[in-house]
Amino acid sequence: MNDTEVLVQQLITGLCNGMIIALIALGYTLVYGIIELINFAHGDLVMLGAFMALTLVAFFDLNGASSGPAAWVGLASLFVIVPAFCAGVNWLADRLAYRPLRSAPKLSVLVSAIGLSFIFVNLGLFWGGLPLELFGGGNAAAAPKDFPGLIGNTNLLGAGNVQFTYKDLLVVLITLPAMGLLTYWVKFTTMGKAMRAVAQNPTAARLMGINADRVISITFMVGGALGGLASVVYALYNNTIYFQMGYRIGMDAFTAAVLGGIGSLPGAMLGGILIGLVRALTDQYIATMWTNVMVFSILILVIIFRPSGLMGAKVKDKV
Amino acid sequence: MSVLLVNSLCMRFGGLVAVNNVSLKVDTGQIVSVIGPNGAGKTTAFNAITGVYPPSSGEVIFNGINARRGLDGANVIAIVSTALLAGFLLLLICNAQTIWEQVINAHYVYLEPFPWTKAVREFGSFVFSSAAWPYFVSGFLLGGAGATAIWFRSRTSPFILCKAGMARTFQNIRLFQEMSVIENVLVAIDARAGANLFEAGLRLPSFFGKRRAALKAARELLDFVQLEKFANQPASALPYGYQRRLEIARALATHPKLLLLDEPAAGMNPAESEELITLIERISERGVAVLLIEHHMKVVMSISDRIVVLDYGNKIAEGSAAEVRANPRVIEAYLGKEAAR
Amino acid sequence: MPRLRSNLHFVFLAVAALCPLLDTLLPEQLRFADALRPIFIFALLGLGLNVVTGFTGLLNLGAAGFMAIGGYSYAIATCDIYPFQLGFFGALLMSALTGMTAGILLGLPTLRLRGDYLAIATLGFGEIVQSIIRNLDVITKGTQGINPIPAPILFGYVFQPENYLPWYYLFWSILTVAVVVVSNLERSSVGRRWISVREDELASACMGTDVVRAKMSAFIVGAILCSIAGALWVSYLGSTGEPGNYDFQISIIALCMVIVGGLGSIPGVLLGALVMIGFNSILLTKIAAWINSLSTVSSTNVLASPNNWKYLIFGLALVVMMRFKPEGLLPAGRHYHRRGK
Repeated sequence: MNDTEVLVQQLITGLCNGMIIALIALGYTLVYGIIELINFAHGDLVMLGAFMALTLVAFFDLNGASSGPAAWVGLASLFVIVPAFCAGVNWLADRLAYRPLRSAPKLSVLVSAIGLSFIFVNLGLFWGGLPLELFGGGNAAAAPKDFPGLIGNTNLLGAGNVQFTYKDLLVVLITLPAMGLLTYWVKFTTMGKAMRAVAQNPTAARLMGINADRVISITFMVGGALGGLASVVYALYNNTIYFQMGYRIGMDAFTAAVLGGIGSLPGAMLGGILIGLVRALTDQYIATMWTNVMVFSILILVIIFRPSGLMGAKVKDKV
Repeated sequence: MSVLLVNSLCMRFGGLVAVNNVSLKVDTGQIVSVIGPNGAGKTTAFNAITGVYPPSSGEVIFNGINARRGLDGANVIAIVSTALLAGFLLLLICNAQTIWEQVINAHYVYLEPFPWTKAVREFGSFVFSSAAWPYFVSGFLLGGAGATAIWFRSRTSPFILCKAGMARTFQNIRLFQEMSVIENVLVAIDARAGANLFEAGLRLPSFFGKRRAALKAARELLDFVQLEKFANQPASALPYGYQRRLEIARALATHPKLLLLDEPAAGMNPAESEELITLIERISERGVAVLLIEHHMKVVMSISDRIVVLDYGNKIAEGSAAEVRANPRVIEAYLGKEAAR
Repeated sequence: MPRLRSNLHFVFLAVAALCPLLDTLLPEQLRFADALRPIFIFALLGLGLNVVTGFTGLLNLGAAGFMAIGGYSYAIATCDIYPFQLGFFGALLMSALTGMTAGILLGLPTLRLRGDYLAIATLGFGEIVQSIIRNLDVITKGTQGINPIPAPILFGYVFQPENYLPWYYLFWSILTVAVVVVSNLERSSVGRRWISVREDELASACMGTDVVRAKMSAFIVGAILCSIAGALWVSYLGSTGEPGNYDFQISIIALCMVIVGGLGSIPGVLLGALVMIGFNSILLTKIAAWINSLSTVSSTNVLASPNNWKYLIFGLALVVMMRFKPEGLLPAGRHYHRRGK
């Protein structure tokens, strides 16, 4: 591989990982935009989604060699059931942990989210102990699990050195439409408009007859569903999942959301892709062990020059 | 001599021009009122004058100094030293391992005495070597650019203007709700003459003197606005009208030359606004100039030396109470074209 | 009564001073005083975070970063594989100084940011510190950690690891000094300035508070306390342990201590440390010992070990606690007089 090819390859990897991060970052930014909560449990929700996906793979008995309509239906069902599962979990979390705290101080809600994140991690650990063959027979609950390579590694660019495989294509085919749909939903549907209204001023929105609690619930569900989608893509793309992965993923996604300007949807997408690229390029050209330092240094640099993120709106104090 | 001079001030938010080319002047000891229909840009103008929003154009001269500070010597020193620090830091962090090996590991033999002078010389020679300067230069540039950006954003700041002698109250009362009444006033006094970390943390003798003086000053001010018997109650428990008076006391605690009052009579009954008029006159007697936004015509007409009328962000009239009252453009703005005829 | 309430931390400290006495009366398997030592250290960490997050309202997610800096500075200053080999207080001073420097360097660019941007910057700081320590293995010995740390020698007395009692009173006295200083600060102009920034940053700036400077002073005090906690932790363990020990989880536990105890409440922090760390290091080890003594369940089952339930119980406790007592176990007195209104 020559230098250009290396660079192109890293850009492809970075973009694909970045789009997965962006999908998760959207979950952070949606929830932050509406109730100003840093949803610490979101990364761990994605982890639970990945474990759900692995369980479904075991249930449908899928593996890299499966083909035929049954396999396709099984694969497609992952993209339906897992987002629905994550949306449900997020709805439940809002219902039980966040809704009773609507009028409590902001930091109390944050602690609640931290608590939920601990609960999710622990549930992930238990889930990893399921006595299934794919989970290592239940003997090593904490060990990383292999996620079968259901999507082929065939290079779509022919015999060249640069690889663009079905996996990369899958990431693009899932994330881009999801982001498009979300943008459409927020901009043009009644529910999306209600959501923006609640985000701007919950009291006024309530006075206009908007059921703010319902809107917040739905926002949580949409964010959860995006996280679920991202978890399936992540598992299929990276082929390994473990119960503590939520922290790393969540950190990247949250950083992406802030980098882009928290509360801004296009910002989260841009931020995710940038983080993916920075990670890939640092891995290649500096050293993997400095990647985290690089990511956060860039974040701090960006917010010195643009205090509300790349695409965040300037917030003026109301006096 | 004028305390406040506003020259063709403009405030634009996106396409909206909230304040357009407004000039006004407050002389020492004067009471000047700004009136105008709702949405005329009065509060926005106030915020621009007090440094809460940087003005889009125009200038605010307070007490002879420009509210938007230029680049002065202290700023340059701060920016350059930040840049130097950043450069040195980047140099250290990026070469930490090499430096440690050359300076410490190369000279330290386990449990033997350490040759400090040799090590320091070694360190110096690395810092000034050709391997180090690219790091230093990039850190210097980044740090300098960052410091400049931060300076640029903080050119106007309410705190600087307050130090220079400008104090204000807010349209929607902004007291420190969790603090007691007297603590609210103390915050403003502390900003001028509070104890520092060492005095306060270690209770040095100077701390007690400062505390006594601050408490005395705070009690006098509460006495001035007749709130002394509520001194130890939480601010949030005060009735609305008292909260407004507390805000005035807090503002006076900064020793202002100019006090800006943003709708002090809002929500007050006739008796209370009568009291407010007396209070404002007493403040004026202390030699404090007052700039007042008010809807309550009785208050405005009875105490103002001069009145400025804003409409849709433009100044449409200025003069004494009688002059303003007779001005057809003012009547038009308030009551419509028909009434003006 | 309110007097006792606001001085509850001194009652807690007095009780803690008597615990070793009580301990001698208890049967062997119920003794706990030994395990209070990490609680003292974490209380110090929580106290530092309380200044930043509780008083000043700056969400800091990087407490572990400061702890790591303090701990590694202490280790490098004392361990005989380095040439410095300072005494206990010298090394403590070193780690306070490096912690302070790190606080200033982090604060300079970030303290002007809006709340949640500061949170992510501090979170990033914690990650950066951990990565840097891991990567600079020439200096920090990478994942091995620095050891052995020599036993502290105070006034000729050597602190032996076998005898916990001197350690106990050493940590207790340092914590007590810190509590006195922080509570002095809280009840002074400095503390009022911090709280006014938390309550209403803009109003505070308009009353002449230099907001950035007030935040910086809180940040510095917090950084010093957190790094001293790190130094004590390292001296307690006799090793820095591996860099992964100072991860985000520590920052989160510190934050939970502060919030569970009651934001801005010093007795709250002490109680929070007791509850959060006590759960981990006292209750859980006792339960584990008890279950092991039964030893009938197969060890491969993930549900069998109580250690595997830790986070579930911990998380549930946090959620339930916030649901029913969001203001914390011992809310700060300032919140108190507002109740029932």
